Amino acid sequence: MRIRFAGMDGFLGALGSLLVVTYALLPVIWIISLSLKPGRELGNARFFPDTLSLEHYRTVFNDPQFPAALLNSVGIASIATGLSITIAIFAAYAIVRLDFRGKHWIFYGTLAVAMFPPISVVGPLFELWRTLRLFDTWPGLILPYLSFTLPLAIWTLTAFFREIPWDLERAARVDGATPSQAFRLVILPLVAPGIVASAILVFIFAWNDFLFAASLTSTDRARTVPVAIAFFTGSSQFELPTGSIAAASVVVTIPIIALVLMFQRRIIAGLTAGAVKG
Amino acid sequence: MGVYRLRAGRFFQVNKWPARISSRCSIALLRLLFLLSLGLPVWSCRNPEPVGPPHLTWYVFDEPSGAFREAARRCTEFAKDRYRIDVVSLPADADQQREQLTRRLAAGDESIDIIGMDVIWTAEFAEAGWIREWPMRSTRRASAGRFPITVQTATYKNVFWATPFTTNVQLLWYRTDRVPTPPDTWDEMIDSAEKLGRNGRIQVQGERYEGLTVLFVSLLASAGGTVLDAGGQQVSLEPEPTRKALQVMKRLATSPAADPGLSTSREDQARLAFETGNSAFMLNYTFVWPSARQNAPDVAANMGWARWPAVLPGRPSRVTVGGIDLAVSTYSRYPELAFNAAECLASRDNQRIAAQRGGLPPTVSALYNDPAVRRRLPFADVLRAALNDAVERPQTPLYADVSLAISRTLHPMRDIEPDRDTTRLRKAVQRALRSEGLL
Amino acid sequence: MRRAQNVKGWLFCTPALAAMALVTAYPILDAVRLSLYRYDLRHAAPPDFIGIGNYFSVLSSEVWWQALGNTLLITTISVFFELVLGFALALLMHKAVFGRRTVRSAALVPYAIITVVAALAWKFAFDPTTGFVNSLLGVDRAWLNERWSAFGVIILSEIWKTTPFMALLLLAGLSLIPDDVLRAARVDGASALQRFRLITLPLMKPSILVALLFRTLDAFRIFDSVYVLTRGAHGTESVSVIGYNTLIARLNLGLGSAVSVLIFLCTLAIALLFTKSFGTPLLRTGR
Repeated sequence: MRIRFAGMDGFLGALGSLLVVTYALLPVIWIISLSLKPGRELGNARFFPDTLSLEHYRTVFNDPQFPAALLNSVGIASIATGLSITIAIFAAYAIVRLDFRGKHWIFYGTLAVAMFPPISVVGPLFELWRTLRLFDTWPGLILPYLSFTLPLAIWTLTAFFREIPWDLERAARVDGATPSQAFRLVILPLVAPGIVASAILVFIFAWNDFLFAASLTSTDRARTVPVAIAFFTGSSQFELPTGSIAAASVVVTIPIIALVLMFQRRIIAGLTAGAVKG
Repeated sequence: MGVYRLRAGRFFQVNKWPARISSRCSIALLRLLFLLSLGLPVWSCRNPEPVGPPHLTWYVFDEPSGAFREAARRCTEFAKDRYRIDVVSLPADADQQREQLTRRLAAGDESIDIIGMDVIWTAEFAEAGWIREWPMRSTRRASAGRFPITVQTATYKNVFWATPFTTNVQLLWYRTDRVPTPPDTWDEMIDSAEKLGRNGRIQVQGERYEGLTVLFVSLLASAGGTVLDAGGQQVSLEPEPTRKALQVMKRLATSPAADPGLSTSREDQARLAFETGNSAFMLNYTFVWPSARQNAPDVAANMGWARWPAVLPGRPSRVTVGGIDLAVSTYSRYPELAFNAAECLASRDNQRIAAQRGGLPPTVSALYNDPAVRRRLPFADVLRAALNDAVERPQTPLYADVSLAISRTLHPMRDIEPDRDTTRLRKAVQRALRSEGLL
Repeated sequence: MRRAQNVKGWLFCTPALAAMALVTAYPILDAVRLSLYRYDLRHAAPPDFIGIGNYFSVLSSEVWWQALGNTLLITTISVFFELVLGFALALLMHKAVFGRRTVRSAALVPYAIITVVAALAWKFAFDPTTGFVNSLLGVDRAWLNERWSAFGVIILSEIWKTTPFMALLLLAGLSLIPDDVLRAARVDGASALQRFRLITLPLMKPSILVALLFRTLDAFRIFDSVYVLTRGAHGTESVSVIGYNTLIARLNLGLGSAVSVLIFLCTLAIALLFTKSFGTPLLRTGR
């Protein structure tokens, strides 16, 4: 009886897992197959390509717009990530390790900022950036990105730091390690995975932004990938840029997915930690 | 914290990587990220100033036949190292073109030199200080031989801002096998379409967008009205012509001859529907002709053209003019060269090429006698007559808002109540003119 | 000692607080200021103080109310489905014996994809010429050219993208339920449904509420998918799209700022509504 149930459960579970995987991957596979269809097959309304072709990838990389946008995206998202993680490490450390008045208040503030609708600040920023000549520059995007990367970073780092047995450091010191040794050999290996996971999450958020990038940039100087893709005009004059858009989408999606899958476990911990901590 | 541990312990025990490798990996990645974030700002400070003659950038909509690129190539050659013209394509959709341009111009972007400006943007761009006045000494050259209406689109507050390049007006396309002579008025057209029954549909633009405004403005002008007064400051919308125009729209939308997809129909949907063969009439631009010959030869074989139907019997229709003018950005670093280049791009020869290759009607009226142009535009005479009577859409810096006010108030057409909406329309346009309309 | 910690604590938090204030508090105050002016970049004229005139314009416009209705509709429907599907997914991940890792990895994929890219994928899928959906369903339909089906596609892309996130949040909650309680209930003869209703749900209430609050506020600011899928055509504008169109497409900074401030107030109202009516014990930071 028990065994039959287990078998049944297992079957249902496997079926469910299959469903979930299909669900999650469907649009990804669709856009990949679209990007591999040669131009004449784009209108055939089939899911999979009949013949494979890399022509759209060539088009996308030969067009000056896309490589520039890729560079901008990588640069802007990395700097925003580095900056917000650095700032957030201090805040998270203080929240976890120090006992001071107004701590809750800081946390609430962070939370409030995380819920902030970006459209509410885009107008004044546009106006301000025009006068400060920050419009269409890297700093002009990195600064607004802090509004959502910082709360996220503080949050996930706080959660990770709570897990760390900070007492180990003292133990190492008692065992004769120097402060720098204690930090390097004991604390750093403990915090590094959490920091990296937070950094990946923050990076994804910055990488994903469309509203700020669409409003505060205008040329290849600072335009990021989501905007470049959404405004793609296509370099081939005779075809709809559908294929190029698909190819560009695949190029920017695959590395992120790889990164996420590599750090899957930590990222899930970081994502959910903010919500559940009694 | 206890809870967190519990969860972490229970949930993440399925850890396939030994913890040490994972953290070593992480540290390496951390260092990489750090280096990247140090290195990238330095890298980003690159300054790509090309050597050689100044590059002038021409922002213009993506023209599929390549006629614009050809014009740029010819003018670059002609300039003999004084400048080079690079074409940057804007999206196909006019609203998106405008959005991208205005955002750049509002931020003082120096990378724009020549702007392929839709005829409805002149007032807005001029008022905002984004484009330069055309130099007095070459105004005559830049407007010579053009249809007066096209010169008017480039003129705002008695100043000439841009050189007219291509133009366009709608014609009435009809099925010669079903309708022996084209109808003179809208009422005649709807009557004869209703008589034809299943094969008598009328294709117009009824979606809530610029095309609906164009339809209304053309009807209004044909009925003898205008949207704004001559100064462009006050609402005009004379009650009689306005009501007449709205009545026509209402009658069309509620007629069995209307396409079921009228409320989402744009120029391209209308073209596709006409090409399927069950329509007798279509109001559309000239691009439908080469398209029908290619996609639906049997429809094209029976395709006739005529001027837009009149609203009032005995009073010829007046339709809205489209097309683009070439202007020079205020922020261009080489304004003198840019004016030169724009003049060259919009020259008679380049207009001929645009007509021959891309089927874009020229603004130089003499070209309508050119055999090569007439081969490509066999309806050149009708087009010229329509252009001579054409009107422009309201010239106001707030045109985008005014147009939205009109299309929003009149969509969907079947719900129009001519009496009530004459008032509603007036109010909506008034609000838009006070830049109050949130549209 | 305590004093020293106070100083140090605030010192460590200052950069973060200052940065957040600089990029949110300051601009929103500036938006409030701008919203009191008639200020349109298309006029060379300097800004003109008009008090609450812009708010009057917005609130008396049918466009605003339609957009607000649309946004609330998209938010309600997508959050509802995300909750239901997310719960199912969470239960599955909780129970799954085989391929647990695979399921979790797969669940992270939608989350990691750029929203614009996902929306474009759906757009091409539902497109009558390039898409496979029409041939799959055997219909001929321009999904994005009609209001309700366009809403359907927008909501679908929203659900697809965020359900996994919801599931992960709920999973974290599920794992807090002690196994022995469930086992004891089972021994006492409670059916699966009863166990779910009487034990799982009440214990999960806090995580559900937090997930709901997050997702509601996040869905309320929906912009990317609407912009990519319809650009607000066919009556599908969301409030953020209205704000963008007024501020950035039409450069009417005064009126657009009024829209921005109103959106901000709506967000506040939703957050307050949640905390007041349900109470959110989870947002406590206490250790």
